[in-house]
Amino acid sequence: MNNRRNFLVKSASALTMTFIVPSLLSSNVQAKKPLDQKVSNKQSWGMHIDVDKCVDGCTACVDACNEENGLTGFGRPETDSQWIRKVKIKDKTTDKITTMPMMCQHCENPPCCDVCPTGASFKRVDGIVMVNQHTCIGCRYCMMACPFKARSFVHETLTTQNTNAPRGKGCVESCNLCVNKIDHGSKTTACEDACIKSGHNAITFGDLKDSNSKVRLAIDSNSPRRLRNDLNLNQKVFYSNI
Amino acid sequence: MVTMHSVYAHDGNPHVSPGKSKADSQKACVEPTDVMRKEHYLFLLHQRDETVIDGIRTKNHSLANCVDCHVSYDEKGKAIPINSEGQFCQECHVKTATNITCFSCHAAEPRFPNHAKNISNGDIDEISAIAKRIEDE
Repeated sequence: MNNRRNFLVKSASALTMTFIVPSLLSSNVQAKKPLDQKVSNKQSWGMHIDVDKCVDGCTACVDACNEENGLTGFGRPETDSQWIRKVKIKDKTTDKITTMPMMCQHCENPPCCDVCPTGASFKRVDGIVMVNQHTCIGCRYCMMACPFKARSFVHETLTTQNTNAPRGKGCVESCNLCVNKIDHGSKTTACEDACIKSGHNAITFGDLKDSNSKVRLAIDSNSPRRLRNDLNLNQKVFYSNI
Repeated sequence: MVTMHSVYAHDGNPHVSPGKSKADSQKACVEPTDVMRKEHYLFLLHQRDETVIDGIRTKNHSLANCVDCHVSYDEKGKAIPINSEGQFCQECHVKTATNITCFSCHAAEPRFPNHAKNISNGDIDEISAIAKRIEDE
């Protein structure tokens, strides 16, 4: 565990000062995108996670994600799909135990897209990193490239997929920030909803380009860091108090 | 004089389970019927890239909406998966010996699994009417 903590924390150097991206400073008012219009780079979806508020043993976010996306397991934890998971880390010197949700970090420079041979792994213009399962050939290079172990491969034939989350055998998949909900005007993701409902409020989702959005306020009022900042991936998921 | 005829599965005939889907009470699909018969897959192919890559979520050429309208209901008002034997999609594709791979990933029932939650009153009336009609037959 200590190694994992070191891995995540030690390398996250020069933390809070580096994430001031020029695009974050512009302010724009969010309006619901009409269904017939393309997504634009006027928005940049991101997330803030206050690790201190995340409770050991709570799996509300994981359960909500599984329900939202129809992720049902086959009793094989090694290979069953997980879009979000809880990670527990322990500080060796203080014995402080920290738990936090871990999912696709939606990198600005995603290594999964760099290695994808078909272009199926791609970053949408609004910053969501996702898999185009129509062109995914299931080679799993992206799974190897991802430093956060965020992706899963579907090993089994599926039959009861949700309409809003098509997924099938032979494709890689991962958190897509509830892209279907977002495109239909939702301002929250399933995991954020669940975290708020459970009373913990550890997860905050929103538009990083909107200076008044709750995620920006959370980022501005804490001093969050990106995991493995040394990799210069410029993730859009920020962690505080880690 | 020789006239060219194009022959499609069920040419000139209603599909296998008439009166059991919402589509049956409609005059036309989202495009003229002959265009839909011939080119529906092109619309779907075009729309899928627009949706996944650009986030366009219009309903006309969306697979989810095809399923919503064309799925048949049994006598209890429960949707029958559209790719099961004899159903709207499957029937023609068996006849033309083409595999539909859509449903290895996409839901074959309308708005699965939250159909009951998201359904409108109009839908309920319509589905009840379909169920009643089947029962009467």
